[in-house]
Amino acid sequence: MMIGIKELLRQPGRFASVGVALTVLVVLLTVLGGFLDGLELNQTGPYRAHEGRLLVFSEQSENLIQRSELNKAQATQLAEVDGVAAVGALNQIASTASASDGEILDIVLFGYDLATDVLPPPPSDGAVADDAMAESNDVAAGDTLIVGANSEPVIVASVVGDLSQGSPTVWVSTNRWREIVEVSNPAALPPEDVNQALVIEPVPDADLDLLAADLSSIDGISAVTASGAIDSLPVVQQQSTTFEGIIGLTYVVTLLVVALFFALITLERIGLYAVLKAVGAGTKDLMAGISAQAVCVSAVALILGFGISLIFINVLPADLPVRLVPSRLGQIAVGVVFTSIIGSLFSLRRVLRIDPAEAIG
Amino acid sequence: MYVAFKEIRRSLGRFTLLSLAVALLVILLLFFQAVAGTLTSGLTGGLESSSADVLVYDVRARLNPANSLIPAPVLTQVSESPDVAAVSPIGLSVFTGTTDGDEIDVQLVGGDPTGPSVPAEIADGRLPQGPGEGLFSGSGFDNPIEIGQTVSVEGIDFEVVGTADDAAFNLLPTLYVTFEDFTSASQNRAGIPIEVAPSLLGVIVVDGADPAEVAEQLTQSIVGIEALERPAAVDALPGVGQITQSFNILYVLLYIVVAIVTGVFFLILTVQKQDALVLLRAIGTGSRDVVTSVLIQVLVVVGAGAVIGTVITAGLLQLTRDVFGASLDSTTTTLSVAAIVVLGLLASVGAVRRVLAIDPMQATRSGAI
Repeated sequence: MMIGIKELLRQPGRFASVGVALTVLVVLLTVLGGFLDGLELNQTGPYRAHEGRLLVFSEQSENLIQRSELNKAQATQLAEVDGVAAVGALNQIASTASASDGEILDIVLFGYDLATDVLPPPPSDGAVADDAMAESNDVAAGDTLIVGANSEPVIVASVVGDLSQGSPTVWVSTNRWREIVEVSNPAALPPEDVNQALVIEPVPDADLDLLAADLSSIDGISAVTASGAIDSLPVVQQQSTTFEGIIGLTYVVTLLVVALFFALITLERIGLYAVLKAVGAGTKDLMAGISAQAVCVSAVALILGFGISLIFINVLPADLPVRLVPSRLGQIAVGVVFTSIIGSLFSLRRVLRIDPAEAIG
Repeated sequence: MYVAFKEIRRSLGRFTLLSLAVALLVILLLFFQAVAGTLTSGLTGGLESSSADVLVYDVRARLNPANSLIPAPVLTQVSESPDVAAVSPIGLSVFTGTTDGDEIDVQLVGGDPTGPSVPAEIADGRLPQGPGEGLFSGSGFDNPIEIGQTVSVEGIDFEVVGTADDAAFNLLPTLYVTFEDFTSASQNRAGIPIEVAPSLLGVIVVDGADPAEVAEQLTQSIVGIEALERPAAVDALPGVGQITQSFNILYVLLYIVVAIVTGVFFLILTVQKQDALVLLRAIGTGSRDVVTSVLIQVLVVVGAGAVIGTVITAGLLQLTRDVFGASLDSTTTTLSVAAIVVLGLLASVGAVRRVLAIDPMQATRSGAI
C-alpha cells in the first residue's frame, strides 16, 4: 500500500486528470443532492413542524391535505382513543400577502389549533410567519401583513424558521383562517365543522406508530406521522425518484471513470508490477496500493468538489431551491470513496495475470 | 484513419468503457431535458394553448392564477373597452373527483366554451356545449381520460366530449367546463350557495389590434386589474422561471462533465501511446494524419456513446411513462447530441496538442522509445 501512496506523492500530476474528472463529478453529485434536498425541504416545512405528532386525513385522500375532509364526529371519535391527549384542526389555502415594504408575496395560509415543538400556540388575533418572509421582505414581529384578495390585516406575533411549503407560510388560528377564507375565497371554504386535516397530540411516551395504527383502524381515517405525510406527497415522490435515479447514474459514471483510469494506469505499469511480484509482492499488496491511490484521489476530489460546490451554490440566485445538508455530503463522500475502491478493483484481473517471470524477460 | 479503427478494434474494452461513460452522461442529460419539458408544459400548457390573446388578473394576485379573483363589474368594464372583441370569465380551482371508481385531483376550468376560455385547438371530439360536458387535457404525468368517460366532481357528472393536447393547468388532469357547472361544483363543495368569482378573464382583441397594447390599456384604464398578453402571462407563471433556471444549471454541469471526462481520457490515451506516435512520425506520417486519427477516435467514441445513450433514454422514458410522462423531443435531442459531439471534439484539444508537440527526432535517441 505504501508504495502506491509514495507514487502518488512523487507523481501527483499523473493522477491529476482523474482527479479533475472526479472533482467535477463530485460537484455534479453535490448540486444534484442540493436540489433534491432543497426541493424537498422547501416543500415540507409545515409537516416537519409537526414531528412528534400524528396527522390525520380522510382515508380516500391518500394523505393529501387538499383532498382530505374530516368532520366533527370523526374528530370526537379520535379524541376518545387511548393515547390521544388532544385533537386540533389543520387547514391550508394558497393566498397572497403584502408586507410593510408593499411587495405582494405568494403564501400558503394555514389555520391550526395545537402548538408543536416548532409552532407556538396559535395567536388569538395575530399570526406566526415563516422566516422565509423575514429573509426576503424583512417581516418581523409587530408588522402587519395584508392577506388575501380582500386585504385582511394580520399582525405578525412571531417569526418561526423552516416552515415553507413551496411558498412562505403564514399561520393563524382556525377561527381566523375561516374568517379570512370566507371573505377572500369563499369557494374554497370547507363546510362548517369540517376541516381538511387533524393533528393528534399524543400522551407523553406514546408509541406514535402504534397510535397511528390504532387511529387508522377507525373507518374513513388515515393517521400518519409527519414523515409518513411527507412520503405521501406526489411531488416529493416524483422528485425523489427522478433525482435519486440521476444521482445513481452519476455514481455509475464515477465508477466507470475510476475503473477506466486505473485500467489504463495498470496497463502502463505491467512491467513494474512484474518486477514487484518477482521480488515477493503479492497480488493483494499491489491491489491494496491501487485502491489506496483511488481512495486518496477521491478524498482530494471530495475536498475540492465540496469547496467548489459551496462557492457555486452561494453564487446561484437566492430563489433557487438548493440546500446543502451535512448528511447528504456524508452520503456523497462515502458513495464516491466506495465507488472509487470498486472502480480500482476492475484492474484486479489484469494484475492477477501478471507473471513474475516477465520481469526477467 | 486505418490506424484509428484498428486501435479501437484491438482495445475494444477501454474504448467501450469510455463510450459507456459518455452514454450514461447522455442518458442523464436527455432524461433531465425530457422531464423538464413535461414539467414546464404541464405548468404552462393551460395558458400557452389558450384562445385568449390577453389575460386579466386581479392586481393583488401577482400574476398567479391560483390567487386571482376578478370582481363582477370588471367583466363588463373589460368588454366595453376599445379593441376588445370578446371576453370570457375563467374560473380555476382544484377539486377531488372520481373516474372509473378512482379518486383523482382534477383542475376545473370554468368559462364560456364559445369564448376565450378554452384551448385554441382541439385534438379530438368537440368543445362542451352545455351542462355536464367537459373537454379534457392531461399533463404527461396523468393517465389520459378518454372521450365518453365520466368524471364526477362534487356531485356533478361530466362526460368528456373532447380532448386537447398540452392544455393542462398545475400539472393536473384538467377539465374545461361551463362557468355555470364550475359555479355549481364550487357551491356544492362549500355546502352553501356562495358567490363564485372568476379567477381570470380571457380576452380576444379585434383584428389588427396589438394584444400587448390592449393589455397595457386595460391595466391603465381599469382599477384593480393587471392584464398581460398571453406569452407574457405564460412567462410570469409562478415556478416556471425557477424550474427552467434549475435545470439549465444541471445541463451546464453535465456538459462540463462530458467535456472533462472525454478530454481527460483521450489525453491519457495519447500520453500512453506517445512512443508509438513518435515512431509513426519518424517513419514519415504527417502530424495531420496522427491528429485526424485521434479526432476520428473521439468522434467514434462520443458518437457511439451519444447514440447508445439516446436509444436507452428513449426506451427508459417509454417504460416509465406512467411515472414521468415524458418523451424525447427530436429537435432538443438532435441539438444536445450535436453539442456533446462538438464538446467531445473540443475537449480533445489537450490530446491534439500533445500529438502536435511530438518531435520525430526523439526516435533517433538511444532509450527514447
